[in-house]
Amino acid sequence: MINRRRLLTYSAAAGVLAAAPRLNPDFLFSPAMAQTTSPIVFLSAENITGNWDCTAHTTLSQSTIQGFVMGYLARAPMTQENPGELVMELATEINEISATQLEIKLRNDITFHDGKPFTSEDVKATFEYGSQPDRPAQTYPGATDTFDVTTPDDYTVIVDTSKGGYGASLFIFLAAYLPIMSAKDIAEGPGGVLTQRLNGTGPFKFVEQRGNDTVMEAFPDYFKGAPTVSGVTFSFVGDATTRMLSLMGGQADIIERLEPEQVETLQGEADIKLNTSVSVENKYLWFRCSKPPFDNPLVRKAACHAIDRELIMEVMGVAGHASSNFVSPIKFGYIDLDNYPEYDAEECQRLLAEAGYPNGQGLPDLEYITSSGFYPKTKEYGEVITAMLQEQGFPVKLSVMEVAAWNERLYDRPGGGPGHMVDCGWSTGSPEPDLVLRTHFHSSSKRICGIDDAEIDAALDAERNATSLDARQESLQTNLMPLLADKVPALSLFTSVMIHGMRANLDGLFIYPDGLTDASKATMG
Amino acid sequence: MFILKFLLRRLFQGAIIVFIVSALIFTLLRVVPGDPVRLMAGGMAPEALIEQIAEEMGLRDPIPVQFTRYMAGVVQGDFGQSFVRPKNGASVGGSSFDDSTRGERAQVLDLIADTAPMTIQLALLSMVFALIIAIPIGVGGGLAPNRWPDRLALYLSSVFVSLPNFWLGIVLALLLSVKLQLLPAIGYKGFAYMILPALVLAIEMAPFIIRTLTVSVAAVMSENFIDIARIRGLSRNRIVFHHGMKNAAVPLLNLLGVQFSMLLGGVLVVEFIFDYPGLGLLTINAVMQRDFPLIQGIAIITAAAFVVINIVVDLAATTIDPRLDY
Repeated sequence: MINRRRLLTYSAAAGVLAAAPRLNPDFLFSPAMAQTTSPIVFLSAENITGNWDCTAHTTLSQSTIQGFVMGYLARAPMTQENPGELVMELATEINEISATQLEIKLRNDITFHDGKPFTSEDVKATFEYGSQPDRPAQTYPGATDTFDVTTPDDYTVIVDTSKGGYGASLFIFLAAYLPIMSAKDIAEGPGGVLTQRLNGTGPFKFVEQRGNDTVMEAFPDYFKGAPTVSGVTFSFVGDATTRMLSLMGGQADIIERLEPEQVETLQGEADIKLNTSVSVENKYLWFRCSKPPFDNPLVRKAACHAIDRELIMEVMGVAGHASSNFVSPIKFGYIDLDNYPEYDAEECQRLLAEAGYPNGQGLPDLEYITSSGFYPKTKEYGEVITAMLQEQGFPVKLSVMEVAAWNERLYDRPGGGPGHMVDCGWSTGSPEPDLVLRTHFHSSSKRICGIDDAEIDAALDAERNATSLDARQESLQTNLMPLLADKVPALSLFTSVMIHGMRANLDGLFIYPDGLTDASKATMG
Repeated sequence: MFILKFLLRRLFQGAIIVFIVSALIFTLLRVVPGDPVRLMAGGMAPEALIEQIAEEMGLRDPIPVQFTRYMAGVVQGDFGQSFVRPKNGASVGGSSFDDSTRGERAQVLDLIADTAPMTIQLALLSMVFALIIAIPIGVGGGLAPNRWPDRLALYLSSVFVSLPNFWLGIVLALLLSVKLQLLPAIGYKGFAYMILPALVLAIEMAPFIIRTLTVSVAAVMSENFIDIARIRGLSRNRIVFHHGMKNAAVPLLNLLGVQFSMLLGGVLVVEFIFDYPGLGLLTINAVMQRDFPLIQGIAIITAAAFVVINIVVDLAATTIDPRLDY
């Protein structure tokens, strides 16, 4: 006969038995502070995609992981003094042998982490695979059928763009963007091994994805010499305060995307040092150009003249860098544009009247979409922008959304996409300005603003088709960039400053302006 | 016979509660703005592909049709696949429209089974800490009504209940982890990693336990049978611990049942602050990623746990005091 007491006893016993296999075996006996200090612990603000194909995403955190594991033909330090500088890595030379031909000479002492020797076939396969139109990170100047890649020998690559009718120089800066994958992996296609793990030639070898931790270990056969640290653990930790406390408590060695207030806090810590650099990312106020009222360039320009960017810089503090162009100052071709729209209330009113909306009368209700918790200070400067626009008669409402909701509304879609203005940054790890300009302002792409403008298309095509880097720079600075400043499909608000916090004993790290981190010479004293 | 009737009745009531919760969550998720397919497929995916994926997944069917199909799976133990998480369980985002790993999404039940024990561990430790904090204060207050221990219990409860858990978590991490280097602050690699989040949860729970104990102990200690025990010459300790505490335990037990159930679903902020890989962190990420199947799965499992815990608590209460009838 079962009674209440027995039922409870038996139920409890059954529960314990059922739960036992599930319980963490480390429970109760793992030591505190179990993490060793030998691998670098990197806490990221952004999660990854889970698909390791380097061409399957444009996610910054995953690109950072790729920077540890993968090799590049060249790396671009991207300084303001010399935006076009390239430091050879897998390549020894990249030469324009004609307007439409590029010769790339490769190192001959390199192996992939799976033991396969690196040859020109890997570069050819990577270029051809990465330029397929269905690749989300497809960034090359034209689709595969617009260029030929030949491999005269195992360590020479010739890129010929004569079929596409554009200059081969476009491939130069892209060399610092696409990680070189193994031809053997690529042969399996997008559903193959490429998606399951990274296989590169970099200083660290991909080991596994353990929950939110990407585990990498030092690659002893790295061609520049085995790294000193035993590895890198790259983890997604969503909360900025948690990341900071982890760094201060010694659980993390390096954290990214510090807020300006956190910079102030950490500046007073003896065990912590900061690394700041002007980044590859500009922050934009994107106009939905395919629907009223921002399908009218006069209204867009009026809105730009309503915004005092100096006030935004005050809000951003150390996290922002003033710039007057659509690309970061560390990108090839950057100049401060003379005709970049500045705050000018009278000009704003004149343009509004010319567009048929005197003092903003007749404008529809406008929605300005921004996110909270992804970029620093978006809500704060969003409120400032909203107030400034309202002051000039724009009936704007600010919608601050959590990241998923904002991301769901971000991109252009038939009919123009939600809202009328969207806040978003864009960054690509190469000095190549086309990765931003063509991606967003050519009618074949127009990711967020949805602009379809024949004049802009022609200017973009003209600079793409220039036959040398010098000619491209000329075309960018005297034609395309001023034209964009005149039509403003988006207003670039400022260039982001990338701020990392790290333990003071972590030395020898080099952080590129796109977040890629060279830890091959890092030491932790 | 009582047991059988009791269980049948309560399980039937519980099933209705879980069904209502499921229907509400399922419907709410589908009427809030935002298309999960757009997040799954990536913002740059063409419209046609988004519609194709949505239709293949049945997300354009009427909500009752979708719900019926979903519940048919649930009763067979199939809670579906996460929209975004791969099998390795990583918190992911930014997937793209030709992401070939989409076919290898994690099973919702696996994700919950991997993280729920972490939260149960945390909840149990929190309750232990809460009892360690609350019992001396609460019992002391109950044994000395209207005197300083009672007032102390009231003041401490008021202080504890006023501390926001996110603030307390940050302060404790700053103090115990950063300054004193005594405990790790984030993640989970063993017992030590649970202490800080458990402490925060315990301080959050303690006021309710203190007040319940103070009131119930005071009430019991004023009963006739306590006076009779004194007349019988029993020691004060024996009276308090064998008679007083046993009778005061029933309201405490009910409270602990409710608190434990609430902990399972209510550790969101604390797990987020401490990056503790439990059900709370899983829920936050699922919500931020619009991972509908995962949110639904967590809601159903949590509701079911709530029901079961309450049944067990009621059963335990009737065992302590057979006069009770639930």
